[in-house]
Amino acid sequence: MVYTPMSLLAEPGTRLPLMGNEAIARGVLEAGVYVVTGYPGTPSSEVIMTLQEYSRDLDIYVEWSINERVALEVAIGAAISGARAMATMKAPGLNVASDPLLSAAYSGVDGGLVVYVADDPGPHTTQTEQDSRWYGELAKLPLISPSSPQEAKDYVVAGVEWSEALGLPVLLRTTTRVSHTVGDVLLGEVKKPRRGKGFRKNPERFVRAGMDWNLERHRWLNNQLARVEELASKYGFNRVIGGGDLCIVTEGAAFNYVLEVVEEYSLSARVLKLGLLYPFPSKFILDNVRDCREILVVEELDPYIEQHLKIVLYDAGLHIPIRGKTTRHIPLEGELDKSTVLSALGLKQTIQPRTPHKTPRRPPPLCPGCPHRFTFLALKRAISKMGFKLSEVPVIGDIGCYALSVYKPIDMLWTEHSMGASISMAMGLKLAGVDKPVVAVIGDSTLYHAGLQSLIEAVNKSVDLLVVVVDNGVVAMTGHQSTPAWSTSETGRVLKPISLDDLVKAVNPDDFRVVDSYNYDELVGVFEELIDKPGVKVVVSRHPCALLEARLKGVKTRYTVDVELCRGCKACLVVTGCPAIVMEGGRARIIQEDCNGCGLCTRFCPYGAIKQSG
Amino acid sequence: MIPLATRILIASVGGQGGLTLARVLAFASVLSGFSVRTGETLGMAQRYGSVVSYVQIGSRVYTPKFTPGEADYLVGLELVESIRNIHYLKPSGFALVADEYRPPYTLSVENPLSTRDQSLDLIKSLHSKTITIPARKLAVEAGNPRALNIVMLGSLNALANIFSHKTIEEAIKHVLPARVVESSIKAYIKGYEYTQATRRDTFT
Repeated sequence: MVYTPMSLLAEPGTRLPLMGNEAIARGVLEAGVYVVTGYPGTPSSEVIMTLQEYSRDLDIYVEWSINERVALEVAIGAAISGARAMATMKAPGLNVASDPLLSAAYSGVDGGLVVYVADDPGPHTTQTEQDSRWYGELAKLPLISPSSPQEAKDYVVAGVEWSEALGLPVLLRTTTRVSHTVGDVLLGEVKKPRRGKGFRKNPERFVRAGMDWNLERHRWLNNQLARVEELASKYGFNRVIGGGDLCIVTEGAAFNYVLEVVEEYSLSARVLKLGLLYPFPSKFILDNVRDCREILVVEELDPYIEQHLKIVLYDAGLHIPIRGKTTRHIPLEGELDKSTVLSALGLKQTIQPRTPHKTPRRPPPLCPGCPHRFTFLALKRAISKMGFKLSEVPVIGDIGCYALSVYKPIDMLWTEHSMGASISMAMGLKLAGVDKPVVAVIGDSTLYHAGLQSLIEAVNKSVDLLVVVVDNGVVAMTGHQSTPAWSTSETGRVLKPISLDDLVKAVNPDDFRVVDSYNYDELVGVFEELIDKPGVKVVVSRHPCALLEARLKGVKTRYTVDVELCRGCKACLVVTGCPAIVMEGGRARIIQEDCNGCGLCTRFCPYGAIKQSG
Repeated sequence: MIPLATRILIASVGGQGGLTLARVLAFASVLSGFSVRTGETLGMAQRYGSVVSYVQIGSRVYTPKFTPGEADYLVGLELVESIRNIHYLKPSGFALVADEYRPPYTLSVENPLSTRDQSLDLIKSLHSKTITIPARKLAVEAGNPRALNIVMLGSLNALANIFSHKTIEEAIKHVLPARVVESSIKAYIKGYEYTQATRRDTFT
């Protein structure tokens, strides 16, 4: 076989094991995309992260944006000038970017624009089990959904070409089991990145203030959509596998479970695999289901295909029984697997599953040395010292690692909602009459992303709030991406750093402090002083992400437990919840390679048993 | 075809290198001309949390995911995580488990007296075809304590016999950073040899 080292830039014809997102990154190169923007969000982040690793060899723009809306607008700007572009985001990110998305359908594009959105059935890492397939219908934009890393790559290439042919942005939608699955991928030819050709003034097309123009563009859009299925047919998004009068209509990751069941159980079934999901491929469906005895629809998240299929069959006067989510043959919530497909088909698994052994859960904690641990423990201490009960001071959180402080023993967060919602929701609580102090906690990147507007609102309306900005200098949760405070991006691009402190000070809160998170006593003091004062008080608790520091600089000091002095009281563990500390045979032990040397645990050992180990 | 597929579940604590191990297996599979799928959930601070990687290798496979009772091999990088996932094994499947013990917070708090030996006994009582590997000791001997995951790769290949040593070496070279390649290959051999010897003692 042709073989070259694992590299995104390997020769065409090479077969590589690529994660879905890495395959999409390769697709970007094979599609000649020139501008790639996005905001980090699991399970979508690795597309940009992978491209950035190779940025020195690539003549393309690939940078993180401040949020998804800005990312999409930048990509739209590039595409209306004729450049090929892509914007990447997780499902809730598309909600943030939905405003420009809907307008972009009316304006159209000249260069191919693919908007990549990753859904998360399960959910594994997302606040909702949002089904972004509805965005095709809502935004009136073509939507395709691949099933494997190979298809994910090929769909990028097809999507960009097809977007250009239609003059419309195309939505590429995946789920976790496509984005984060590694599979063998056969590479194709890399194209020269397509830059812009210049932007020609055309208000009828690009100015949405003209209502007659908008009506006209809506007609244009509907005409384009009517052409989609025919134009799509040459890309082979939809196909039929097998035969028989039991028909299964499926797409995405669910297709793989269907295919494995059909092969493993030697079923006679006709599988309709859909890749084009909006506009719904009515012709393909009618060409292939007329003689079906019954149809099983296997899809994750909402009954999207099922509902569209019913409309198509109704209009054609066909009465074929349909099993799916509406009939509860397929669950409405959670991720599917082979066993769901088997039971929907009325089959028994040949292998009897064994009962799991009950084992204590291990939810992801804050890392050893995490500066957020200092901030939350200091806040806890200050609330108690001021004579408040922890159960009467709402701590309104936001999206980021610090949300992990919801777990025991830190157990501090009351809400985690949507990007930037902490300050504004806390404001609502105060307005509604919560008479005790209310605290909002928000990370640096989340503040840049969508928190500043909330802060302006709270300061402008003079609400009494303590706002704690936990600033670790990086988008840590999603794998350490850059923020607007950086002076050089991942690609080596020189940036003009936007100071978080200057931004906050410009909003003119009633008090403003900056404390090093590792300075626990100072943090307690500042929180005590400010928590009950009137107005909006902003405390920036700043310390670099411990995990990133350890990776970049190594760990100079670690701590260990002197077993002679340890009495097994568990204080170090039950106060900090540090995952480097375990109890074994009645004594505490610090896992040496996991200790990041913050020393916070030493503060809580009543016997002085925790010492530096070097 | 699916019935010939080999299904491997890798259970670990986030940060131990379970994902890297899955990627080496994927690379070795592609080098050997097999179809492969590996899958896990990653990205959301899964460090120090429970992590599983599904690996399916065969002449034609479509998904990484399989259901409890279907795994041919459980490769456990930590004892509690191995116990958590033991039900994924077929009755005829093998558990290859590092003797690494990292009790999660709740276990430490609720049962601080628990020990590594109790977990070792428990996993053997749950599944008789279990081989425990002194993976950390072997990794240290290989000159790289972090290579515990690669010791377990050696252990897996000693039993599963899917790949040639040469293929594994190639895969290691392409997936791992250059500075740890040599110690990783040593770790692989250590795991392989230990498991071959133990297997003879245990199952013959």
